[in-house]
Amino acid sequence: MRISLRTDGGFAYFPGLNRPIVIDSETLPNEEQKSLNTLLDQVKFFTLPEVVATPAPGSADIMQYTITIKDGRQRHTVQFVDPIKNEPLQALVEYIQTKALEKSP
Amino acid sequence: MVLSMKSNYSEMFGIIPPYIIRAIEQNSNEEEERNVAKANLKFDNEFREQRAATSEVMSKGDVYINRECIQKQRFIYDADKSLNPMPLVRSEGSVTVNDVAVNEAYDGFGAAYDFFCHVFRRNSIDNHGLPLKGVVHYKANFYNAFWDPVETRVLFGDGDGKRFNRFTIALEVIGHELTHAIIAHEGGLAYTGQTGALNESIADVFGSLLKQYHLGQTHSEADWLVGVGIFTNQVQGEALRSMKAPRTAFDDKVLGKDPQPAHMKGFVTTRRDHGGVHINSGIPNRAFYLAAKEIGGNAWDRAGLIWYNTLCDKTLKLNINFKSFANRTLKHADILFGSESHERKAVKAAWVDVGILA
Repeated sequence: MRISLRTDGGFAYFPGLNRPIVIDSETLPNEEQKSLNTLLDQVKFFTLPEVVATPAPGSADIMQYTITIKDGRQRHTVQFVDPIKNEPLQALVEYIQTKALEKSP
Repeated sequence: MVLSMKSNYSEMFGIIPPYIIRAIEQNSNEEEERNVAKANLKFDNEFREQRAATSEVMSKGDVYINRECIQKQRFIYDADKSLNPMPLVRSEGSVTVNDVAVNEAYDGFGAAYDFFCHVFRRNSIDNHGLPLKGVVHYKANFYNAFWDPVETRVLFGDGDGKRFNRFTIALEVIGHELTHAIIAHEGGLAYTGQTGALNESIADVFGSLLKQYHLGQTHSEADWLVGVGIFTNQVQGEALRSMKAPRTAFDDKVLGKDPQPAHMKGFVTTRRDHGGVHINSGIPNRAFYLAAKEIGGNAWDRAGLIWYNTLCDKTLKLNINFKSFANRTLKHADILFGSESHERKAVKAAWVDVGILA
C-alpha cells in the first residue's frame, strides 16, 4: 500500500516542502503495518468523499491536505483542511508527518 | 488669523485639511498661532483616525471614554495536542501561568488590542470589542498558525521541534493573524491571486507595525522581518519573510530558498498556495517598507494610517488587484495629507519602485 500526503498553504511558503510525503507500507516493520491498518480501518478512507472540507470564507494561512492511498486495485484521493474534525483522519495526518520527520535530515 | 483651541472634537477640524494647518504651523510668524495649529493638528489626526472607524461605533462613544480602550477580552485555550477537550487556561485579567505559549498568546493579544485601539481607535477585530480567542498547542508537530473564522479564533502550533519553534514566539505573527480577522470584518479580500497577496501583505504590514509600536521603533530601527524566532538553529534563515528585502529571509537545504519577489517582474504565477498569496505578497510588502522609509519616523504614524484607511475604505472591492489598491492608497494619502504632500509622493514613489504603478 502506498500512501502520499501533500500539503498546501500555511503561514509561509517553503519551496523545499512542495513535494508529497510518500510511505510504502511494505517497508514498515510488521507491528507498524498492523497499527497503520487499524488506523486506516478507523478512518474508513475509501468511503470518504473526495473533498471532506474546504476553507471557510475568511480563513487565512490554513493548511490544506491531500492524501492519496493506492492499495492493490483501489486508489482514492481525499482533500481536507484544518481544523480537522474527523479525529482518525487527523491521526493519520499526524502519523504520516511524524514518519517524514523521522526520515528527514 | 487665529484658530481657536478646542478641547474636544469639533466640526471645524473636519473642514480644514491637515496640510493647511501644517502650513500655518510652519510658516506663521506668531508663536501662539503656531502652537494652536500644532494642537489642532494633533486633535485633527485623532479625529480622522476616529472617522476611519465605523460611524455606528462613533455614535456610541462609550468605548472611547478618556481615550482608554476598555473592552479588551482575552481567552486562551490549550488544545494539548487535540481539540477535545480544550480547557480555558487563561482569561482576561488572570495572572501568568506556567506555560510560555499561553502567556505569549495572552500578552500578544493584549499588545495587539492596545496597538489598534491607541493608534487607529479600533476597538478589537470588529471595532465592537470582539473577544480575542487563541488556541495554543494545536496538534502535534504543527508548524503553522491560522485564523479560524468559524470560531473566531487563532490557532497556534508548537512547531515540529526540529526546524520550527512555537508560533506564539513572534509578536508579528500574532498580529498577522488578528489582522486577517480585521480584513474579514472590513469586507474581506479574496484569498487568491493578487487580491490574496494583498490580504497577506496587509497582515504582514500590521503584524510588523504592531511589533515596531510595541518596541517603540522608528522605520530604520525595525527589522521588517516576519516570523523572527520561529526557525530553530537547524535552519539557515532568520525569519519566514522580509518586507525590506524579499527573497533573503531564508535559504535552507530542506526548506528551500525564500521565494518572494520584490518587484512585479518577479511575480509568480502558480496554482500552489492559492496562486502564491504568501509569495507575491513580497511586492506590496516592499512597497510599504519603501513608503515608510521615505516618509520617515514611526511607520505606523503616517504610512500605517494611509494603509489602515485604505483597508477600511468601504468601496474597496473584494477582488481588487495590486494597481487598484495602490491607487486607493494614493487617494487616502491625498485625503489625509494633501495631493502635494511628502507622504503622497513617498507612497507613489514606492509603488513605482516595485513596478505596480508607472
